[in-house]
Amino acid sequence: MAATDAGAAEASQPHHRAPGDAGADRGDAVPRTTAAASGARRGPDAATLLAAALALPGVMPAAALAQTAPDQGIVAMRYFDYRDWQPGAERMNVHSPSLYLLKPLSDSLSFEGSVVYDAMSGASPLYHNTLSGASGVGITEYRTAGDARITKYYDRFAVGGGVAYSSERDYLSRAWSVDLRTWTADKNRTWAFGVGGARDNINPVNGITQGRHRETYDLLVGVTQNINANAVVQSNVTYTDGRGYYDDPYKPFDRRPDTRRVWAWLTRYNQYVPSADATLRLSYRLLLDSWGANSSTIDAEWVQALPHGFTVTPGLRYITQQHADFYRDPPLGNGLRPGQPYTADTRLSAFGAFTPSVRLGKQFADGWSADIAMSVYRQKSSWHLGGEGSPGLLEFSARWFELGVQKTF
Amino acid sequence: MTIHRFPFRAMAAEHELQVAGLDRASAARAAAAAIADVHRIEAKYSRYTPDSVTTAINRAAGRAAVPVDDETLALLRYADQCWRISDGAFDVTSGVLRRAWRFGAKPPRVPTVAEVDAARALIGWNRVELGAHDVRLPTAGMEIDFGGIGKEYAADRAATLLASHGVAHALVNLGGDVRALGGQPDGRPWRIGIVHPRKPGAVIGELDVVDGAIATSGDYQRFIEVDGARYAHILDPRTGWPVAHWQSASVVAPVCTLAGSLATIAMLRRDAPAFLDAQRVTYLLVDEKGRRVAPAGLS
Repeated sequence: MAATDAGAAEASQPHHRAPGDAGADRGDAVPRTTAAASGARRGPDAATLLAAALALPGVMPAAALAQTAPDQGIVAMRYFDYRDWQPGAERMNVHSPSLYLLKPLSDSLSFEGSVVYDAMSGASPLYHNTLSGASGVGITEYRTAGDARITKYYDRFAVGGGVAYSSERDYLSRAWSVDLRTWTADKNRTWAFGVGGARDNINPVNGITQGRHRETYDLLVGVTQNINANAVVQSNVTYTDGRGYYDDPYKPFDRRPDTRRVWAWLTRYNQYVPSADATLRLSYRLLLDSWGANSSTIDAEWVQALPHGFTVTPGLRYITQQHADFYRDPPLGNGLRPGQPYTADTRLSAFGAFTPSVRLGKQFADGWSADIAMSVYRQKSSWHLGGEGSPGLLEFSARWFELGVQKTF
Repeated sequence: MTIHRFPFRAMAAEHELQVAGLDRASAARAAAAAIADVHRIEAKYSRYTPDSVTTAINRAAGRAAVPVDDETLALLRYADQCWRISDGAFDVTSGVLRRAWRFGAKPPRVPTVAEVDAARALIGWNRVELGAHDVRLPTAGMEIDFGGIGKEYAADRAATLLASHGVAHALVNLGGDVRALGGQPDGRPWRIGIVHPRKPGAVIGELDVVDGAIATSGDYQRFIEVDGARYAHILDPRTGWPVAHWQSASVVAPVCTLAGSLATIAMLRRDAPAFLDAQRVTYLLVDEKGRRVAPAGLS
C-alpha cells in the first residue's frame, strides 16, 4: 500500500531542478533555473512536468538561441491540464494557466518573463484526510511562479541574468542565474556558460518539521554547432550541487541524504529533411546522480509541415532509471535502519517509462499562432532497460494536454 | 481501498467529496448527485440570484408575508433555536451589518457609531414573523441571510445523498465544514486537521471522526487592520461590533449544521468552553493569544 500511495513519479526525471535542462530543451544553451520544479513536496513533478512541457522544443520561442536581439515581441498564453492515476491510489489533477512575454527593450537588449498559476487537487494524501478551517483551505493547493530575464547582445557574445520564484503553501523557492554565450565570426558555433543558484524554504503542513532550507548551485557548459544548412547539434553538460533538506515530509520514514550532486549530459540533434519539409529532432540525456538514481532519456520528434500553415509533431520519449541507493522495495519499512537514509518513493525506484505525444500547430496571419498537444505517460518497473526494475510496484500513468495561443508584435 | 476524490467549486469557495468503498464510476455517480444538491441549495438560498428564496423574502420586507416550502421552514425553525440557545448571538438577520462593516473596502475604515446603530436597527430575529407556512420581515431593509447555516446544511445533505447511493465511507468538505461517514475504509477514523489561525499552511491540531461533523469558525478569513488594530468579521449582532475572544473555534457534533452553529456561537462567547461543555460536544478553541483550549482529556 505504501508504495502504491507514493504518488506520481518524476515523469521527466532528467528535468529535476538541473539548471540547463529546461533551458536546453528550449533550444537554448543557457542555464535556466526555472521556477518550476519542487523537490521535496508530495505533489510532484506535475510541476516538473509543467517545466518539461513548457520547455519542449518549439513550445516556447528559442529566443535565447539567437545571436542578435529579437526585433519583435512575443506574448503567449498557455493552459496546461494534467492528470495522473495509479491502480488503488488517488488521482491528482493540475490546472495551470501561464503567460509568457518576450519584449525587445532596445536593439541589443531583450526582456523575457513568465507567470504561472497552478491549481492542484487530489494530490497524494495529506497527513490529514482533510482540513477544517474558516476559509476552506486544503482542498485545492495553489502555486504561483514567475521568472524574468534580461539579455544584452554584443557583436560576438551575449550576456544574460534572470531570477525566478515559486511559491506554494509549504514550499518557497527563489533562484537566480547568469549566462554568457559567445559565437564564432561565422556564427556556426556557439559556446554557452552559465551559473545559477537557488534557495528553497520548506514548511510542511503536517508540522513534522519547520523552517527547513535547501541551497543549490548549478553550472553549465555547452556548445551548439551548425553542421550544414539543414542540421545542428548541441551538447551541454550541467553540474548541480545541492545541500539541505531533501526528505519528503509527507512520506513515512522518509529520510534522504542532505546533499545531492547531479551531472547531466544532454545532446541534441536536429535535421531538416527538405524532401519531406520536416525536421527530425533527436536527443539523448544521461544523468548521473549521487543518490544512485541514474537515468538515460531518449527523445525523438518528427516536425512535419503541412499545407495551410499547419504543423503536426508526433513524438516518443523513453526514460530508464536506476533506483536510488536508499530506495527500498515494499513493504513500507522494509530495510529501514536507524540513522540511515530510506525512501519508498516510487519516483526514486527503478523503472522505464514511455511518453508518446502529438502536437498540432497552426500559423495564422498577423503573427498569431496556436497549438494543441497531448501526451500520455506510462511507467512500469518491467520497462526498465535490462529488466531489473523495482519489484512490487504498480504501474503509474499520467496524461496531459496543452493549449497555447501566441502573438508576435 | 481507493478513496476517490471529487473537488468542485460552489458558493465562491472550494469543496471536495471523498468517497471510498465503491468503484470509481459508482462513486462518481453518487458524488454527482451530492454536488448537484449543493448547487441547488446554493441557488435556492443565494443572496445574489434574483429568483432565490432569500431574495424573495428580503424583497418583501416591510410588506407581505412570503410563502415558503418545508425545507426553508425547517431551516428558519433551526435558526430560531440557535437564536434562543445563544441569547441572540446567532441571528440570521444580522447580515445587514455588512453595510456598516465593509471588509473589502480600500482603504479599510472603521464605521462610525451612527452607521453601526443604523444597521442594528434592522437586526432582530425576535421580530421576524415566522408562520406555519410563511415568513415576514416586518421592517423594510431587514434581511435574512442563510450564510451561517446554508453550507453546513448542504454538507449534511451531501453526506445523506452519498449514503443513499450506497456509500459507506465518505468525507464531505464544503469550504472547511466537514461531515464524515463511516471512517476510512481501512478501519481508521477520518483524521481532520484544524487550520492554524495565524500561520497559513500550518495545522494547529487534529480531530478524529468516524461518523460526525467538524466545523470551524475563525477570525482570519476576513478582517481589516486600521491603526494597528485588527477588526475581524466576527460581529456580535447585539452590539454591532467585532469581538475577539477567540482566534478560531472548531466543534465536533453529530451533524455539520449543528457543528457550524455552535462554532459561530462559540466565537462570540468568552465562556465558550463552558457553553460547549453544556452542549456535550468536543471542541478545539484557539484563544486570542494563540493558546489551544479543548475539553479536559483531549490531547
